[in-house]
Amino acid sequence: MSLPKLTHLPQVRLLTSIHPQQLLLPPVPALAVPRRALVQGEYRRPGQPKDNRLPWQKITFNLSKGLEGIKKHLGLLKLDLTERWVGPEGKPILEHMLEQNRVVWEFRGPESLNEWTVSCDHEIGGHSEAYLKLGKHNTGFLYGTLSSVPPRDGETRYSGYCSMRSKQPLGSFDRKKFHDWTNFNTLHLRVRGDGRPWMVNIAAETYFSHQKDDLYSYFLFTRGGPYWQDVKIPFSKFFLSHRGRIQDDQHCLWLDKIKTIGFTLGDKADGPFQLEIDYIGVCKDYAHTEEFAYEVYKRNPEV
Amino acid sequence: MNVSRNLVLLLGRRAGPLGAPPRPPGAPGPPLGLSGPGSLQAWRSFRRSPVCSKIPAEFAGKQEDKSLVAHDDLFERASRDVRTKAAFGRAVDVFLKRDIRRRGHVEFIYAALKRMPEFGVERDLDVYNRLLDVFPKEVFVPRNFIQRMFNHFPRQQECGVQVLEQMENYGVLPNVQTKVLLVQVFGEKSHPFRKYQRLMYWFPRFRHVNPFPVPCQLPADPVDLARLSLARIANDRDARVTVYQLPATEPSESGAERTLPHIVGVQSPAQMELLSRHDPRRPVFVEGPFPLWLRTTCVQYYVLRADPVPQELRVEEPYDPERCLDYPLQLDLDLDRDLGDDESFDVEDVDEGPVYAMCMAGQGDQATLNQWISGLQEQNPVLGRVPTLFRLQAGSRELQAEPDRVRRPPPDEPTAEPGVPVEEEEEEEAEPRRSRGLKQ
Repeated sequence: MSLPKLTHLPQVRLLTSIHPQQLLLPPVPALAVPRRALVQGEYRRPGQPKDNRLPWQKITFNLSKGLEGIKKHLGLLKLDLTERWVGPEGKPILEHMLEQNRVVWEFRGPESLNEWTVSCDHEIGGHSEAYLKLGKHNTGFLYGTLSSVPPRDGETRYSGYCSMRSKQPLGSFDRKKFHDWTNFNTLHLRVRGDGRPWMVNIAAETYFSHQKDDLYSYFLFTRGGPYWQDVKIPFSKFFLSHRGRIQDDQHCLWLDKIKTIGFTLGDKADGPFQLEIDYIGVCKDYAHTEEFAYEVYKRNPEV
Repeated sequence: MNVSRNLVLLLGRRAGPLGAPPRPPGAPGPPLGLSGPGSLQAWRSFRRSPVCSKIPAEFAGKQEDKSLVAHDDLFERASRDVRTKAAFGRAVDVFLKRDIRRRGHVEFIYAALKRMPEFGVERDLDVYNRLLDVFPKEVFVPRNFIQRMFNHFPRQQECGVQVLEQMENYGVLPNVQTKVLLVQVFGEKSHPFRKYQRLMYWFPRFRHVNPFPVPCQLPADPVDLARLSLARIANDRDARVTVYQLPATEPSESGAERTLPHIVGVQSPAQMELLSRHDPRRPVFVEGPFPLWLRTTCVQYYVLRADPVPQELRVEEPYDPERCLDYPLQLDLDLDRDLGDDESFDVEDVDEGPVYAMCMAGQGDQATLNQWISGLQEQNPVLGRVPTLFRLQAGSRELQAEPDRVRRPPPDEPTAEPGVPVEEEEEEEAEPRRSRGLKQ
């Protein structure tokens, strides 16, 4: 062996000459590459232990809760059965066909806050805060502080977002229900912001599970100031993004099965923010005939 | 031999903060590099492999004290006096001249990307092009279909994508030089070049999408900034911005210098008309401060408004037909509308009361806002008869009130949360202002 030849070297140095190769095993620094998970599970913070409980161990059994659930679901079932004798979506057929605009979400009482989920990067270890409450004049008031300091977990590179998302409507026995907006072509919002740009995200029902994070987004620019602002965004302008990345293959938003709508703030300006929402509706704009604002033909070079 | 030397070189270069988890730029972290020259030497001699001692003299001589230096150190040395674009360029030059083979360029580029905001060059396209120039040319271009099919030189490609992603995050649009560099370095169908194509597709598309654009460079003068932001929030082309007071310093009676804050206000003709029709028995309110964001700058404004008139006090004023003889002000045409032609939303209107004027001031105390009201009174004489109440909110400013005029809020009064509009009246001046109107 070559070992006797190397005896003039100190023992320690001999060992260290092997050492580097072990250290080089991770070929890229953590700074460079985002980890791409093959299986898209729920988000788990780096360093957080896995939840190894079995599915039934996560359920809390409670008799009164169960009775309430049965009552609620039977009521919803009754509604489901009786509504369709009146017409589609519980409205007379004439009213349904001639509908020009519809208010989908409005803030007119504390119960309307239950339709929304507020989240921010506090969940991934950031320092933002976001809250939703009812404003002085019965409007939805989303406020908080944005902080773009990334969490110190060694993997997360960017941070600083606050978002509000509507809950998906559920029918009886927690069946999924969807918003059907095929009669309309424009999203109508009445908001009052503080000058920050927001993003409106619409999630539609998809078929494959790998599309579950697909969102259709567009920008919502607020003017700021004491006046309310009526924003009309045609649905044709929404572009497809997946987990925050704009996709190359764009497709227009199909309006027959809309799950949720959301508002995201992430403009990297640290500080307090506020957004007041009066209502969110959809309307039919006859002057707007565009189907999709982005190219869908095969591009050359194909990306 | 060369290979193992490369490994050692790489290891030495990664021993700096690059191997460590990324740190937020502002957070205090461990000192860059190692603790001192003594420990540096000890550590290095400990790690050096036998091959490393055979470095040819010409290479060893080029590097200072025959050591391997982390790349952050290059920027440390370049920025010893001042952190500018030139200093950043010097660091890149030093790296380029150090080794003709540009070993460790990926680590260097990552280190450079991380240090860019410190040098203030994060929005500079030239600097990004210089960084892309650090990549050796034509080495990473795939030459056959197998290389093209597989991920050729993935680390380098990811590094290139990272450069472009940082450009994207700071809103820097690449130019033709970027394209040429990427083609030279990575080839035409590589990941960085795809990223470039995506940037060039989406960036120009959304460039002018903002209906309320904010200039990139906000004016440094607070009065100009106030003009800009008031014209923005006024939402009326006819609104006139008035500067009620320019910032100045003047000596007061006690001899100390007193700084006068700037007061800039905006009022549109429609607001003036609304204010002239205001019922003098009902008070008007000065509310604020409310935040307004212009990109990353937050300014605060104050609003003069009134509470909504109760339903029973509202009077429908019929249009005076002689107010305008050119065309009728009221049309009562019965156009046959179809069944589905109702275009209004079925919601209750939010009635918040009229807004009469907006202002921005250097100080948010009551004396300053009083001056604004006095200035408004010249145009709107009705303000002299209307009681003015101040609903100011404890914000970032300090209350600089004269003790005899303003009732201090008791200390146990809950303070409003920042960023929430006024819920409680913190200090209130119920006495009508007309006694000292226009005297100031």
